Amino acid sequence: MKTETLLWVMLLIPIAASLACAALPRPRAVLGVLCAGVFTATATGAVVIHDVLGTGPVSSATGWLYVDALSAFNLAVMFLIFCLSSAYSWVYFGGPANDVPLTPRQARVFGGLWCGALAAMTLVLVSGNLGIMWVGIEATTLLTAFLICVQRSRAALEATWKYILICSVGVAFAFMGTLLAAASAHQLQLSSHDTLLWTVLRDNAAGLDPVLMKAAFIFLLVGYGTKAGLAPMHTWLPDAYSQAPSPVSALFSGFIVNTALYCIMRYLPITEAATGGTGWCLSLLRLFGLVSIVVGAAFIAFQHDLKRFLAYCSVEHLGIIALGLGLGGLGTFAALFHTLNHSLCKTLSFFAAGRLGQVFGTHDMDKMRGAYRVAPAWGTAVFASILALIGVAPFALFMSEFLIVKAALERGAIAALVIFLAGACVAFVGSLGHALPLAWGNPDGETVREPVRATFLEACLVFLPLATLLCLGLWLPAPLETILCEAADVINGAAAPTLAHFSAGVAP
Amino acid sequence: MENLVEAILVGLLISDMTVLASSRVAGCIRVTAMQGLLLGVLTLLLQAEAMSLRVVLMAGIGMLLKGGVFPYLLARAGKEAGVQREVEPFVGYIGSVLLAVAMLVVAVWLGTRLPLQVHAGQTLVVPAAFMTMFTGLFLIVARRKALTQVVGFLVFENGIYAFGVATVGEVPALVELGVLLDAFVAVFVMGIAIYHINREFDHIDTDQLSSLKG
Repeated sequence: MKTETLLWVMLLIPIAASLACAALPRPRAVLGVLCAGVFTATATGAVVIHDVLGTGPVSSATGWLYVDALSAFNLAVMFLIFCLSSAYSWVYFGGPANDVPLTPRQARVFGGLWCGALAAMTLVLVSGNLGIMWVGIEATTLLTAFLICVQRSRAALEATWKYILICSVGVAFAFMGTLLAAASAHQLQLSSHDTLLWTVLRDNAAGLDPVLMKAAFIFLLVGYGTKAGLAPMHTWLPDAYSQAPSPVSALFSGFIVNTALYCIMRYLPITEAATGGTGWCLSLLRLFGLVSIVVGAAFIAFQHDLKRFLAYCSVEHLGIIALGLGLGGLGTFAALFHTLNHSLCKTLSFFAAGRLGQVFGTHDMDKMRGAYRVAPAWGTAVFASILALIGVAPFALFMSEFLIVKAALERGAIAALVIFLAGACVAFVGSLGHALPLAWGNPDGETVREPVRATFLEACLVFLPLATLLCLGLWLPAPLETILCEAADVINGAAAPTLAHFSAGVAP
Repeated sequence: MENLVEAILVGLLISDMTVLASSRVAGCIRVTAMQGLLLGVLTLLLQAEAMSLRVVLMAGIGMLLKGGVFPYLLARAGKEAGVQREVEPFVGYIGSVLLAVAMLVVAVWLGTRLPLQVHAGQTLVVPAAFMTMFTGLFLIVARRKALTQVVGFLVFENGIYAFGVATVGEVPALVELGVLLDAFVAVFVMGIAIYHINREFDHIDTDQLSSLKG
């Protein structure tokens, strides 16, 4: 099949799966169809990504669908996270340890919205029209809202309401930004069809009105930044992460926030070229990144709930990604690499938090001590993933953070570097203070728990992400490096030198 | 023609003031319905020179949704939750109207600052749009009831819509449809959320949704 056709197939499979899930009678059947739909979509996506890497950008429907290296890289991360989380939702909702199984109605809602969210996110990543991209983001917000309160409780409803309201208003700001970006093109006399096409705006970026484009970028950064959980617009994030069922938390931290960040990445080259390459938008992004690092690190130490603690880790890591993007050049490469590593690692840690939560019946870290003895597989997973998150050496997150440090030094951004390192140190100490008792501490109270054995699927879900993180920390495969370089080149624009030259510096 | 546009803009500003000064939730919902209809007419007037089937159709769908469907959904959610008035808002009604005057000044100042390409005789559209956006945001932060916050969200969206009509000549029809569809689903989803919150808590006062902290 032609790649153009495959783009449509990739969009339609999740929609079909979503409708099928909403019609099935039994929870098991819903979870099965859900996994089948996600894996088929992934197979299609893999072919698309392969074609894009081989032959360059692909577009369809006169440019409305457009996939280049940047979207291909994000598609790859998205499918990876979706496959892992879908398999995990089978374990989480269908396992024998689950004391509150899904009712058939809840299962239908879950399956329908889960596949719907995949469709919406795919739409964001493949759309070449900035208006449709916005429509996709808003659709993601609305579709995922009820995933948070699939199993209804007061706290989950509260989190849902905050999520819908804060993100809808935030995303409405982004729409204002999209309109301003369209208005900034008034001198180009574009036809209605071309108004919001990314390729057209990128090629004519020098002709855009700089003042309007600056105003647009501020609205876009605040708007999409709200959805991406950048501080100080992150207030919905800890509530939603902690109250959602764990597969949903994993999806939120693993990819939903990345889609919003992807939208900001799309606007970077346009804004940079329109404002004359002065680095104005990059410095703004650096500022938001540093604020997020500081806020995230400061809140990490005071958490008692495991999932809230992981949520603040997310705020910190999104800040690191934003900082990397804001540094430009090598920083962009590092930020993209960090996106992949963080998504993998955070998904794993939410998997572990969810399963341990089921075993202990709580997410309170004081009551979950000695997790390693109670559930060896998931105890290892939670400890190792927290170690990876704080940047311990052999894991891939250390490599990407190291590259960001290098980029900051190259750019001479010493103040930013100092704040980043200070934040990372605070987060390191705070997280370790949580992780050590969590894994090795003496169990709380007199209840002696029997060790819980992991099934084969669970062992795979622990082992695969950890092994990947270790491998990527030691060795960056050539195809991955190529796609990262090409994606970074898309963000850095045509003006920046190609990144191929530092490949020697990446491998340790 | 210009007089008509100005009359509609004055109507928009008056509706902003009304929604800020009224405590009855049903009244606020009616005002957003009126705003939706005014915006539809505004679209037709501003694009009168390039009138086409597309313009008429889009304005029609917009009016139907903003003037009919959204208010209906909200009114139903309000009836089920048994909400009639906003009791003890964070900022009182007189204070709200006084702040509205300040917002209007900022809106006019902003409207003159941005180098937007607006047709002669339509320079007032941008300040009116900003004023409507500010009103919506203010309602979201200054009112307690979840339903009034949704009204604020709608007013905010109306402001953005007015801004778009005035400054971006032609947005592709598909994008415009997608935006309207999203707004529809947003109101729908918020309505369902309000329904569940009311069932679980027996009220929809958002200031009491505060168990999650830190």
